[in-house]
Amino acid sequence: MTDPPSGEAAFLVPGTVEAAVEALGAAGAVAVAGGTSIGLLVGQGLLAPSVLVWLGRIPELSVLEEGDGQMSIGATTTLATLAAHPRVRTAVPALADAAASVGNTRVRAVATIGGALGHADPRQDLPPALLALDARVEVAGGRGRRHLAIDELIDGFMSTDLGPDEVITAVRVPLVDGRRSCYLRFTPGSADDYPTVAVAATAEVADGVPTAVRLAIGGAGPAAYLVPEAEQVEGAPEGRWAAEVAEVAEAAARRADPVDDRLGSAAYKRRMVAVWARRALERCLGADGVQP
Amino acid sequence: MKLHARVNGSPFVAEVPATSSLLEVLRGAGLTGTKEGCRIGVCGVCTVLVDDRPVSSCLYLAGCASEADIWTVEGMAERAPSVVDAFVECEGMQCGICTPGQIVAVASMGPDVRDENGVRRYLSGNLCRCTGYGTIVDAALDAQARRRGEVAPT
Amino acid sequence: MTLAWPRVVGPRVDARDKATGATRYSADVESEGALHAAVVRSTVPHAEVLAVDASAALAIRGVTAVVTARDLERRFGDELCGRRVRDMPLLARDKVRFPGEGIAVVLATTRRVAEDAAALVVVEYRELPPVLDALGALEPDAPRVHESPWRYDGAVVDPSDPPNLQSGLVEGDLVAVDEVLGRAAHVVTRTYRTPSGYQGYLEPQCWTASPRPGGGVALLGTAKAPYRLREQTAKTLGLALDAVEVEPAPLGGDFGGKGGVVDPTLCAALALWANRPVRLALRAGEDMTATDARHPSVVEVRVGCDADGTLLALRVDAVFDGGAYAAVKPIPSANLHGMAECALGYRLEAFFVRSRIAYTTTVPKGHMRAPGAPQAVFAIESALDELASAAGVSPVVLRRRSVLAGGDRDAYGHVWDEARGTETLDAALAAGDAAPRPKDRGRSGWRRPAPSGWRRGRGVALYARPTAPPATTSLRLAPGDDGRLVVELPFPETGTGSHSVVREELAASLGVDPERVEVRQVSTASLPYDPGVGASRVTVGLTAAVRQLAGRWSESGGTEAVTIETGSGTEPPALSFCAQVADVAVDPETGQVLVLGVVTAADVASVLRPRSHRMQIDGGAVMGYGFACLEDLLEGDGQVWATNLAEFRLPTAQDVPSLRTVLVEGGRGVGPANVKAVGELSNVPTAAAIANAVAEATGRRFRQLPLTAERVFWALHGEAGEEAGEEAGEEAGEEAGEEAGEEAGEEEGPA
Ligand SMILES: Cc1cc2nc3c(=O)[nH]c(=O)nc-3n(C[C@H](O)[C@H](O)[C@H](O)COP(=O)(O)OP(=O)(O)OC[C@H]3O[C@@H](n4cnc5c(N)ncnc54)[C@H](O)[C@@H]3O)c2cc1C
Ligand code: FES
Ligand code: FES
Repeated sequence: MTDPPSGEAAFLVPGTVEAAVEALGAAGAVAVAGGTSIGLLVGQGLLAPSVLVWLGRIPELSVLEEGDGQMSIGATTTLATLAAHPRVRTAVPALADAAASVGNTRVRAVATIGGALGHADPRQDLPPALLALDARVEVAGGRGRRHLAIDELIDGFMSTDLGPDEVITAVRVPLVDGRRSCYLRFTPGSADDYPTVAVAATAEVADGVPTAVRLAIGGAGPAAYLVPEAEQVEGAPEGRWAAEVAEVAEAAARRADPVDDRLGSAAYKRRMVAVWARRALERCLGADGVQP
Repeated sequence: MKLHARVNGSPFVAEVPATSSLLEVLRGAGLTGTKEGCRIGVCGVCTVLVDDRPVSSCLYLAGCASEADIWTVEGMAERAPSVVDAFVECEGMQCGICTPGQIVAVASMGPDVRDENGVRRYLSGNLCRCTGYGTIVDAALDAQARRRGEVAPT
Repeated sequence: MTLAWPRVVGPRVDARDKATGATRYSADVESEGALHAAVVRSTVPHAEVLAVDASAALAIRGVTAVVTARDLERRFGDELCGRRVRDMPLLARDKVRFPGEGIAVVLATTRRVAEDAAALVVVEYRELPPVLDALGALEPDAPRVHESPWRYDGAVVDPSDPPNLQSGLVEGDLVAVDEVLGRAAHVVTRTYRTPSGYQGYLEPQCWTASPRPGGGVALLGTAKAPYRLREQTAKTLGLALDAVEVEPAPLGGDFGGKGGVVDPTLCAALALWANRPVRLALRAGEDMTATDARHPSVVEVRVGCDADGTLLALRVDAVFDGGAYAAVKPIPSANLHGMAECALGYRLEAFFVRSRIAYTTTVPKGHMRAPGAPQAVFAIESALDELASAAGVSPVVLRRRSVLAGGDRDAYGHVWDEARGTETLDAALAAGDAAPRPKDRGRSGWRRPAPSGWRRGRGVALYARPTAPPATTSLRLAPGDDGRLVVELPFPETGTGSHSVVREELAASLGVDPERVEVRQVSTASLPYDPGVGASRVTVGLTAAVRQLAGRWSESGGTEAVTIETGSGTEPPALSFCAQVADVAVDPETGQVLVLGVVTAADVASVLRPRSHRMQIDGGAVMGYGFACLEDLLEGDGQVWATNLAEFRLPTAQDVPSLRTVLVEGGRGVGPANVKAVGELSNVPTAAAIANAVAEATGRRFRQLPLTAERVFWALHGEAGEEAGEEAGEEAGEEAGEEAGEEAGEEEGPA
């Protein structure tokens, strides 16, 4: 007689980051934050961890604070908290909007910013928003702490640069005066669905002249990606961006590497990247009359 | 693992596999008001409250409910009687399989959810195949109005 | 219209229990000591099963047995199972015919162990050529899904039919229709396609079977038609009728999907085999991929009118993919009555309808809310718009010219005293123009703004449906405690409020307080017969039965239990129309279709419970919207790819259009309560109304559902894909030369 494959697993509730890191050193251990992805994978029999290390009781990870020109968001901050947070909404609306559009109310109520990055599904909302906002991730592990950009952390399709014993402790988003940001997701079927494509844009606009323009795309490649050509829009005088914006949007589409799936064919997604990149840039620069 | 929590206001202890879902645990304890539908977090028939937050119990790991204050539909007559009444009076149900989840979800709404658009957005993850949502939205708006102490418009 | 007798509409009898979690659905009833069954399912569409290796599964602690077809045959013989056509084995014998077909069952002490162990059973296949396309399946040289389908008990085909024909249906006169079309001023011939779908109830099917102490088996579960199930289970297992007792539980949604007999019979067989209670609960994904999906269709419509737009003749030729077995189809023709009735709404000089259902190696297809009608009406009502444009009249004018009016003879030869097509159409159009009333909270209070820069369009569609006179049923009334009255019903509550209707009607007929009347649903051991819920017949039939029951009760003095059995009614049927107006906005840059609003005008007689009635209409319109824009099981290569509710999207509270309903009151219905059926009305014309609106908005005609953004995008933007050429801007009115077969054979759609 043998036991069924989905047998017993240990459930650990460390109280500090150090204890979590140590617990994750065990073979077959996985970190659990909100558990929305882990719970789904385990429930479907796609993952059979031997140790579950729950990060939900580590005070350090739930801090959300501002200082040194940045917002530091603890890894277990929930998406619902981000979406409703007054400072997040005014200072970095792209992040609030991205968090507000994830899945459904129940997912947002418990899913965390750390889990959203750790899951690394290319259709996810937060990675493009955080990438455009130039956020950095603090990671703690057996060899100490290090800092990574979003596209260093998420290094491929459902893949991260994290070692088995590493946890994300916080996400740091720079706060820049005069910076605008916006996040748009295209869900032509159901608003509860993953986006067919998603676009985040940020820019500083002084006297109608944009600088520091960043554009990031989700859903159209193995991971969210930046569109460096976005800087072409910088310096263009007020109301004279149209040609540049169109060029950048085409560049964004050229960089896309989408797959055919239920949300759309690769060819369609590529076309949608161009449309939504343009719309996001227009929104961000105030060209479509809507406050980002 | 041994799960210690409170369910519908009473202490709850159960020996469960750490990888089981809160849904399995609750139903296994005879609390069958919470339903199993999609099992992937999409339909909402398994909605319960964990420390005041609405969660999909089908994918909520039992371990994450340690020490938590859990409420299920069976406790709603006590915790949110006006929501239960609103659903009965507005006939916010047809077959009723989605109803426990709808009621728990409405019970978790904050006062900021005031109008129809807000209700529809909040409840978008609680599917209903029967009603077309009209009477459910009615019931949710009624419940919110009652909670604000307004006389429910009819 | 005044009611036949005074009635009080109180709270629904089932409401509070449902709102507090007290209602016990099939999955909520625990059976002491039950074994849990998990089905090992085929992973391939068509294959010989060479070997089943269960050794690893049997080694798991808690597994008590792994049962195969052989085991069941030894005990019960080799009867096949089915609702009409008995062509499906309880478990595959030697051969599997669709991915998802059961091959073996693991029995274990817990569900988790059973499912884990089922995953360890290894099946060795020798694959056979799959049969994936319904049109191809009807070709003479197609590989056969069944060797001799005409031999099955209940078969409706014969050896001269094409090899994979499951059922065929013909109405009307082919010669006459071609003759009339030959002299029509305008004719269009178009082919329309719809995908396979899922009923979308949120309660997966679930069964518990227990051997009865004195022999036989009791079955509790998701049974929409308990008496019919009893019959089929008994027949398949070689038991006497009364050796099978079916106890229905409240249904968590049905929409046609919970009448299957194979899974519950399998569960009963397992319980008898193991001599222990057995529970067979499907997971949502199994329910979606292995029970009874909606038929995908290819429907060719040829319709003609005279110079001023008066309809002359309609010819409809449909091919449906019926999947691997006909077993789940409930009507004797094993076809779809929505097809048979599809020429009902208009005056026509001639018509011809042919509906062929093919066996393929895909999931068996069954019934879903007004079976066949959504597919047929999408095609016909779209074609009418195309014809209108060819004839240079407006779609509304074209319909008004020919829609049935009182005293008209329909295409089938029946003369209708009352036919309110024009009134219903006009009511929908008037409401579509009117401003929403603010007091319609929950529906029209919800307005979707059309985003700027999007193209707007409005579309109309009509549907006509007969309400048949009441069918046979039976009821029992007995004195209860404290002067209460207990009514026993033979069928489950599906949420339509039928149990409440019984209570209120009975209370009114006897002149007692409804609070004194208790309604109970009882097992098949308790009452003579009922054909089950469905086909919108419940409320209609019940009112007649309740009245008879009350009469008998009064006659007998009201002290002892009385049981009545009604005969099927003889009065003429009533006709209801449903007209819908859809308003859409289309984003020209992305192809996204936003359905802003759907107005439904329903032709009704008496409305017994207004809220329940409204939910039927709203729920139907939302289902129609899902069919039009969202829902697709994505069948391809024989597999269902949308295997869960994240992939097969149902409309959410946020996605749905603003809904408004106008009741065209004062109609003449059937039965003593004077009602017209409403359950299978508003889900039918929605897709055509939306497609017609999208055609107006874009100038392009879409003949394939769902109307995804991508489909619309490529039609508007020309390039990439055959789709654009196929869908876009064909000149209306031209004679399409191709035969349905050729045209329909083309594959299209994104990879
Ligand atoms: C029904 C449903 C709908 C969804 N829809 C969307 C959607 O529309 N858009 C979208 O973006 N996402 C969607 N998601 C995915 C959702 O974003 C993720 O499930 C969620 O963000 C993960 O967060 P969590 O805290 O629950 O993570 P968990 O499930 O706890 O963990 C997810 C992964 O991250 C790892 N992890 C968690 N925390 C850390 C940490 N601090 N350090 C290192 N690794 C960590 C875990 O080990 C695991 O691998 C949906 C999910 C569900 C169930
Ligand atoms: S069963 Fe949990 S969300 Fe569907
Ligand atoms: S009432 Fe049936 S699913 Fe909502």
